[in-house]
Amino acid sequence: MAGRDNLHPRVRCPPSMAAIEIDRLTKRYGDLAAVSDLTLSIESGEVFGYLGPNGAGKTTTIRILLGLQSPTTGTASVLGHDMTVESQRLDALERVGYLPSNPRFDEQSTGREVLDLHESIKGGERRDELLDLFTPPVEREIREYSTGNVQKLGLVQAFMHDPDVVVMDEPTSGLDPLLQERFNEFVRDERERGTTMLFSSHVLSEVRRVCDRVGVLREGELVTVEDVHDLLDRSGKHIRLRVAGDPPENAFDLDGVSDVSRWRDGGETAFSFTFTGDVNDLVAEFEAYDLRELDVEEAPLEDVFLTFYGESDA
Amino acid sequence: MLELARYGARKRVRGALALSVGLSAFSVLYAAFYPSIATGFDVAEYVDALPPVFVEAFGLRAFGTIEGFLATELYHFAWIILLGVYLAYSAAGLVAGDVESERMDILLALPVSRGRVVTEKYLAVVPEILLVNAVVAAVTWLATHAIGYPVAATDLIAVHLLSIPYLLTCAAIGLAFSVAASRASVAQRGAMATVFGLFLFETVVSATDYAWLGAVAPMRYFDPTAILTENTYDFLAAAILLAATVVLVAASAQYFRRRDV
Repeated sequence: MAGRDNLHPRVRCPPSMAAIEIDRLTKRYGDLAAVSDLTLSIESGEVFGYLGPNGAGKTTTIRILLGLQSPTTGTASVLGHDMTVESQRLDALERVGYLPSNPRFDEQSTGREVLDLHESIKGGERRDELLDLFTPPVEREIREYSTGNVQKLGLVQAFMHDPDVVVMDEPTSGLDPLLQERFNEFVRDERERGTTMLFSSHVLSEVRRVCDRVGVLREGELVTVEDVHDLLDRSGKHIRLRVAGDPPENAFDLDGVSDVSRWRDGGETAFSFTFTGDVNDLVAEFEAYDLRELDVEEAPLEDVFLTFYGESDA
Repeated sequence: MLELARYGARKRVRGALALSVGLSAFSVLYAAFYPSIATGFDVAEYVDALPPVFVEAFGLRAFGTIEGFLATELYHFAWIILLGVYLAYSAAGLVAGDVESERMDILLALPVSRGRVVTEKYLAVVPEILLVNAVVAAVTWLATHAIGYPVAATDLIAVHLLSIPYLLTCAAIGLAFSVAASRASVAQRGAMATVFGLFLFETVVSATDYAWLGAVAPMRYFDPTAILTENTYDFLAAAILLAATVVLVAASAQYFRRRDV
């Protein structure tokens, strides 16, 4: 089909229209607000990571977005269609793929039977290509599948009709590292093709590798939405080093240094700290000492996000 | 069109065959039993000794003939009670089972309306109902001929055909519980209790001055004894059952349209 290769991704929807629009979404169960006044906009072709601890409301948001549950107040729309209105929702779902957390299929069916059913309803132009990539054992009954195989079948089912938007809830949980990496690569390729993807996760290292933007949800409220790289820049580097001897108190006391630890180790002193300042200043500081060892690492996103959902959970 | 119904029906083939074999065996068993009743048993005395409610419940008024005997043993007992309760139970798992196991999530992400999901799941049960009736009708015809007390094919066709609206209604009762409950076991218990409860209710009130209350029970509209022994075919009753089925399925679809899953 024309326009479907990596060099010329098909235009998924008019660039002016957001692929996913959530406006003041609230979902209450009695007194409990699972989601509270959530407003979020995901652009066409974006890969958006939706982060938060268990119970934060990520799955509720996703299920409302897909029309499995209805909001208490607020709206959710996909590709310009209001997902609370059935006729509009059905139009949107033709172009949407969904992978729930813990996908479940009829245990007595084979993978092939399930995919045949899905194909007969929503289409399956990419089915063979995805089966080559993810290889669930389609001839066997699903009750014999391992978690990884169920997830693979779920991925095939979610993408087989070449949707414009794919929503995934914890897509890598239960996958071995090899499969996780294959999934990440797949997401990057999909991004090249212009597919919009929303996925919730608490595997932060994956989010950092594939997402454009990240939203953090905590107790039903959206705490922040940021570009992944901005977050990483803000979080700085972790520095570990060793110098000979016993430097003075004010060693490495520069702008941008925080969380300093130091300890003696034989004839050397070790330091570890977070650094968000100018790297040149740090290099200048090294000249004063006999540097024996130096490790520089990106701060893990965990540390950054703990500031968003760490404090009152302790 | 009807992809979900066809898929569902395919999944039920094995169960339908098992049910057909089981009920056929039941029919053969009772057919084999009949000759000793016909010759060595004073039916009139037996029936007179029973409370009228009991006679009414199992259509025992014509127990002495093969038609009356089958009407009681096969059609009142196995069809009205066993198969009616079983279909209500089976249909009760249709939606609630998928909701409980979270299979419904992937299903509802397909571009199919909620109403279509409910209706097609219900329709998946229909071939099973037809198959069981076709198989057992044939087996019963053969069995009664084999024992030397043949039942006319027209009688058997009539009773099986007229049982179908009744069985459809029982399944529709199961479906209604299935869309309202969130757990299959709750729906199944509710559906079975309702069908059996309606049977008991209809039986008990029919012997009283409040017999008209029994109009709410589907059993009121299917009388195998009348069909087999008197050749009375109540098409209006069948139409009422079909209407009740349509109402129950439509109401179930409408309810499911609005609920959170």
